[in-house]
Amino acid sequence: MNPPSSPSPDAQPEETKLRSHVYDGIQEYDHRLPNWWLFTMYGAIVFAVVYWFAHQVARLAPSDGEQVDAAMAQIQSAKMASSIDVNNDPGFWQMSRNPVFIEAGRATFNSTCASCHTAALTGAIGPNLVDRLWIHGGTPKEIYKTVSDGVPAKGMPAWGPVLGAKKVAETVAYILSYHKESEPIEVQVSWAPPGPAAK
Amino acid sequence: MTGQKITIEYNDRIVRQFMLAAILWSVVAMLAGVFIASQLNFWQLNFQTSWLTFSRLRPLHTNAAIFAFVGNMMFAGIYYSTQRLAKARLASDFLSWLHFWGWQLIIVAAAITLPLGLTRGKEYAELIWPIDIAVATIWVVFAVNFFWTLARRHEKSLYVALWFYIATIITVAMLYIVNHLSVPTSLLHSYPVFGGVQDALVQWWYGHNAVAFFLTTPILGLMYYFLPKAAERPVYSYRLSVIHFWSLVFVYIWAGPHHLLNTALPNWLQLLGMTFSLMLWAPSWGGMLNGLLTLRGAWGRLRTDPVIKFFAAGVTFYGMATFEGPLLAIKSVNAVGHYTDWIIGHVHGGTLGWNGFMAAGMFYWLAPRLWNKPLYSSSLANLHFWIGLVGILLYVSAMWASGIAQGLMLSATTEGGTLLTYPNFLDTLNSIRPLMAMRIAGGALYLTGFGLLTYNLWRTIRGARPVNGRIEIYVEPPDADGKFGLGATFFNAPVIFSALGFVMACVWMFASGWLNILGLFGAILCVLLAVTHYQARAHHWGEWYDRLLLNTLPFTVLTFLAVAAGGLIQIIPMLTIDRRLQTEDRIAPLYTPLELAGRDIYVREGCYVCHSQMIRTLVPDVMRYGDYSRLGESIWDYPFQWGSKRTGPDLAREGGKYPNVWHYRHFEDPRAISPGSNMPAFPWLFKNDTGLGALPTKIRVQRLLGVPFPAWTPGMIDVLAKEQARQISTDLRTAGVYVSPDKEVVALIAYIQKLGKSDPAALPAAAK
Repeated sequence: MNPPSSPSPDAQPEETKLRSHVYDGIQEYDHRLPNWWLFTMYGAIVFAVVYWFAHQVARLAPSDGEQVDAAMAQIQSAKMASSIDVNNDPGFWQMSRNPVFIEAGRATFNSTCASCHTAALTGAIGPNLVDRLWIHGGTPKEIYKTVSDGVPAKGMPAWGPVLGAKKVAETVAYILSYHKESEPIEVQVSWAPPGPAAK
Repeated sequence: MTGQKITIEYNDRIVRQFMLAAILWSVVAMLAGVFIASQLNFWQLNFQTSWLTFSRLRPLHTNAAIFAFVGNMMFAGIYYSTQRLAKARLASDFLSWLHFWGWQLIIVAAAITLPLGLTRGKEYAELIWPIDIAVATIWVVFAVNFFWTLARRHEKSLYVALWFYIATIITVAMLYIVNHLSVPTSLLHSYPVFGGVQDALVQWWYGHNAVAFFLTTPILGLMYYFLPKAAERPVYSYRLSVIHFWSLVFVYIWAGPHHLLNTALPNWLQLLGMTFSLMLWAPSWGGMLNGLLTLRGAWGRLRTDPVIKFFAAGVTFYGMATFEGPLLAIKSVNAVGHYTDWIIGHVHGGTLGWNGFMAAGMFYWLAPRLWNKPLYSSSLANLHFWIGLVGILLYVSAMWASGIAQGLMLSATTEGGTLLTYPNFLDTLNSIRPLMAMRIAGGALYLTGFGLLTYNLWRTIRGARPVNGRIEIYVEPPDADGKFGLGATFFNAPVIFSALGFVMACVWMFASGWLNILGLFGAILCVLLAVTHYQARAHHWGEWYDRLLLNTLPFTVLTFLAVAAGGLIQIIPMLTIDRRLQTEDRIAPLYTPLELAGRDIYVREGCYVCHSQMIRTLVPDVMRYGDYSRLGESIWDYPFQWGSKRTGPDLAREGGKYPNVWHYRHFEDPRAISPGSNMPAFPWLFKNDTGLGALPTKIRVQRLLGVPFPAWTPGMIDVLAKEQARQISTDLRTAGVYVSPDKEVVALIAYIQKLGKSDPAALPAAAK
């Protein structure tokens, strides 16, 4: 058994006392726990509580899967936006299923088009865009042409020069998001805005 | 002194046996390690031989390091110290003998079966079921021998080293048995009773805590005995021992899911895995502090005494590894580090730096005492230390650089984040080749160190006469006052506050609405009450604990409750819930008989050692491998094969990506298809016939486990398998390759082409 040879000077007097029990010659001090160690432990516990609350109780962040889906949609939209082909119908349908494209298109539509077509796309001054009836053609490339070149005779401005190809494509994708690729296209001759009674 | 004087002679023979076995197996395990590290750089080193192939030898290396080297070293240290701390000879010479030879026999059996491809396909749990039963039995023999010795002890109070031994014995038993529950299909093959995500969760509950309770707690116990002995200094702080022991054993168990971060594992489990890993930092460092600060006053001997050198470095590596662990358990860090060499570096910091150095220190300290002869050469031991230290530092720094470099390359994007910078996985592999070579050098140096140890101890022992320790003690009459009943064990402030606080915290975490608020405030209230009570009645707490240390059974029961809690909370909900509610939005179609046969070949060859089947919810993973994996896609997987390392790319959506002939050529010569690959060739798959005869039993067992296979007759199974094999063989023939449909490669291609095929999940109503 070896008594302590040199108690460290910074230790508290009562702590340098050895515990009375000796195990096979091994003695034990009873130093208090270092503060930084305790703070590490308390800090980790507090973090665990807050982190659990944020993610599991309050659900402040979207789930991992949702985050990846959103990021992949972003990447997808960036790829499509960099290679817009206004004659590519399948390409438009793909855009119309991409949330990033739809969101951008919705913003443009609401600020630019909703005044005539309404925010619900059901039509007022301009025709309804959610039914299956189309006046100037209902395939994506035809819709793109209508938006971009306009129909000046009927009061539809040419938006291509104003918005640029990307924003027009987004808007078309947004309109297409109300439709399915497989649905039939019916021809409509002209649009008569519904009167007050019809509403 | 009132009692009668008796002399006790310790059973040190068993300590010598275990120690020599540990030294022998350490060299074997490290030799295997250096060999397989070389195979990663030089694929030719499997010599076109199945049983020399990396994926079969890697389990041999890990099992040898953990169970053979550290196992034997732990048993030597525990038997030496327990006898002295209990002041009693080991209870039974027969059990000690059985323990030793049983364990060596298991190791030999493992060394034969693993290279033959006989495996359960789960990491550190690869051994086939008959060996598993032997392991569990021998572990019980160890437990009986240990607790029986404690029952006959003359030192009434349990020293902190013994607390750690107790935690080790009961927890390893619990983990090992649950994770090895299997249904045999033959004498050499079985399926685990858990599949898919359940299997993943149980596996990493086990895998993580094998590290905790096989490689950490016993070594901490050894540290508490051998370090103060060697330093001849008192332990730094008793109260730190108490706090860090209980917090360590309670918190460790919960951290298992950090091996499955960003996978399809339900998020609440990932959150627990991450936060408990962070909370584990302080308890782990408590052990390091108590070790290092015990050396205060003995630092002068660091220059001269190799034993102190090894202990000081070992404890420092423990601190490093237990800081790195929580760091890697942060989800965003894990996103880069997981599946890379960083993890390999991390575990080697633990096993070589912490366990290996503690073992060396202990052997150098023990040998002169067990053979009553001074160490042959102290300077040779010092040389061992320096060679070993350079070796391990080279190893871990190579792996850090390699892991982080590859992790960053794999997630690097270009063109505004729309394209991967390194779409070819092999570009990332080949950029870390020099670091992988540096790892061989580090490992070889470390092995050289242990070679020096072997020589040094052989010269010490040679010609020396083994001696057994003796002690004279006065037997005191039994003292009935200290005995704990149920009441004293459970109805006291520390236990009641802990239990109540735990229940309240669980209510907060898992209940919703007002119960949630109640749980939070209840838990806070419990903590405040406990603190107040402790401040007022501190001596009561201390006295109760002192008395608890006189009572082995109550101490063991409380320890068991502390370690069992985490597993119960995490695993029970996952086992009781209808699994088909957890498929997310996809469900894998059942395997065809041929695909199942192919899958068993995949497991046999150990493909999971280098290939994961888990696309994480991370953008680089999805960009590289496809949509992230859903739980339903591995629901029929017995065992799960999510993997833990990507030496090669992920295979979760490999099916249909390439034609059959691509895979055929790739198994034949990987470099013919993928220039620069380090995958070995698998020529025996082209010679061996697929064992279709075992399929009826295998399918019957899977039906028993809940896989809804139709009630096929053996004849139908045979027809189905042969028909699919014929189709693949025909397809290969049109591509210019002639192969008999009976060959294993056909079954394996069938399985590979199935990976990632899934149907939209049926709604639960239709499922059950």
